[in-house]
Amino acid sequence: MTQFKPNREVVVVGVGLHPFGRFRGKDLATLAREAVVEALKDCGVRWRDIPVAYFGHVYYHGMSVGETALGSLGLTGIPIVNVENACSSGSTAFWQAYWGITSGVYDLALAFGAEKVPGGPVTVTAADSPERYIGGDHMMAGYALRMRRYMEETGAPASALAQISVKARQNAALNPYAHRKETYTVEDVLSSRPIADPLTLFQCCPTSEGSAAAVLCAREVLGSYGLDESRAIKVVAAALTSGNYNGRGSDHSAFSPYRTEPAALAAYEMSGLGPEDVDLVQVHDAATIGELQQIESLQLTPKGEAWRATVEGRTALTGDIPVNTDGGLLAMGHPFGATGIRMVHETVTQLRGEAGARQVNNPRVGVAQCSGAGDVTTVQIFAR
Amino acid sequence: MNDPDGASGTLLGMRCLKCGVCVFGDAIFCQACSSDELEAVDLSSSGVLFSYTIVRVPPDGWPGPVPYVLGEVELPEGPHVLAEVIGMEHADLQIGKEVRLALEPVQSGETGPTLMVYKWAPSAIPTASRQEG
Repeated sequence: MTQFKPNREVVVVGVGLHPFGRFRGKDLATLAREAVVEALKDCGVRWRDIPVAYFGHVYYHGMSVGETALGSLGLTGIPIVNVENACSSGSTAFWQAYWGITSGVYDLALAFGAEKVPGGPVTVTAADSPERYIGGDHMMAGYALRMRRYMEETGAPASALAQISVKARQNAALNPYAHRKETYTVEDVLSSRPIADPLTLFQCCPTSEGSAAAVLCAREVLGSYGLDESRAIKVVAAALTSGNYNGRGSDHSAFSPYRTEPAALAAYEMSGLGPEDVDLVQVHDAATIGELQQIESLQLTPKGEAWRATVEGRTALTGDIPVNTDGGLLAMGHPFGATGIRMVHETVTQLRGEAGARQVNNPRVGVAQCSGAGDVTTVQIFAR
Repeated sequence: MNDPDGASGTLLGMRCLKCGVCVFGDAIFCQACSSDELEAVDLSSSGVLFSYTIVRVPPDGWPGPVPYVLGEVELPEGPHVLAEVIGMEHADLQIGKEVRLALEPVQSGETGPTLMVYKWAPSAIPTASRQEG
């Protein structure tokens, strides 16, 4: 599948993050702006030099929240695009920023995202959809269907899936931005409140609030903006796909567990890299089972064997394929619009060698993968 | 619906005349090949549990009892249909188990009309004597 013809080399020069958690007194635009200010400070790009911005968010907080958030920095009249693409809204905003630059239209671009997700089970359909009274629209129930099927097909024990949550919290304990930093054991995870069997509460990501931002630039103009090339991280692939399950399944069905694979293959082709080149990975672990199926879709382990890699410690910070090094959705929390760019933030921070206590040993290539309803999948590959 | 009371019925699907892929419910174009040459088909009233979960924290808008069992059922024609599984003890749930279609009245939303909704029930027990599980 060749759908990408990148032209100019694009780098991420600045990243910013607002802590994930609950911030009742802060509206969405304020939350979003704070991450943008951090990203601009991180690279020294002046707000008035940003020629285009893409803002990922899902829940409705009035129209044109992106314009409200950025207008407070000064009205510059630039195009600002509000992006809704389910849980991949932030990573889709990043994808658009990337293509805006590599196509030659812009030299710089801002991608940012924010969300204030309400508590309780996440649904996909409109409130009056038949799916609500049929009982099939329940994001975690969908993951539970996948988990049950995966365990049946692979023989993965419940403890292997619980270990994913344990690892997430261990990583998050080293990350001041995480929503949930307390560590726990496999037994704690398995005995937490059941949500949709076999998923327990501690195997489901918290619904959260937070924001993230990234400033992208064409490498050839770094000098003219006085930007630090040594902290610039190359974007070597940015792929986006939507669902293709032949109409036999649905967003929430266990049918077709490797829906991330087309985006993964497209990104590998675009980058000229393969799974063997990858040093660390951020994947969409909205529930524990998600992490396993994303790892396998990215071909980092054979299909049906990611749970073994988890049990063997290979996906831990000290393993050979560290996964969700900042705590992932399971411990960072999941503010939809921010999550995809939070993954970019972590990947860039790790590739720069600036991740502090959770720094992976000398990584050169990192992958960020995000999934959303409609089977919206993004895979981005970064290199230094 | 197959009778005036709406107590029994058949799931309808659409089959592509070009590539043969069959989907649950209405379709204008084939989801696999985009052909517009489709025919309406009656789907089988029995299928097997592809996966299931016991939902203990229901989503907004769920009008039924809690917990409830959500089953993903694979029909012989191919489609996977998600719906509540009724009349089955949790201990009897098993991937691969055969289930059959059942229709039950459900209140649609807080003020909506009562509608007949498709569910999955054990294939061994006839509709009339079904016990709630």
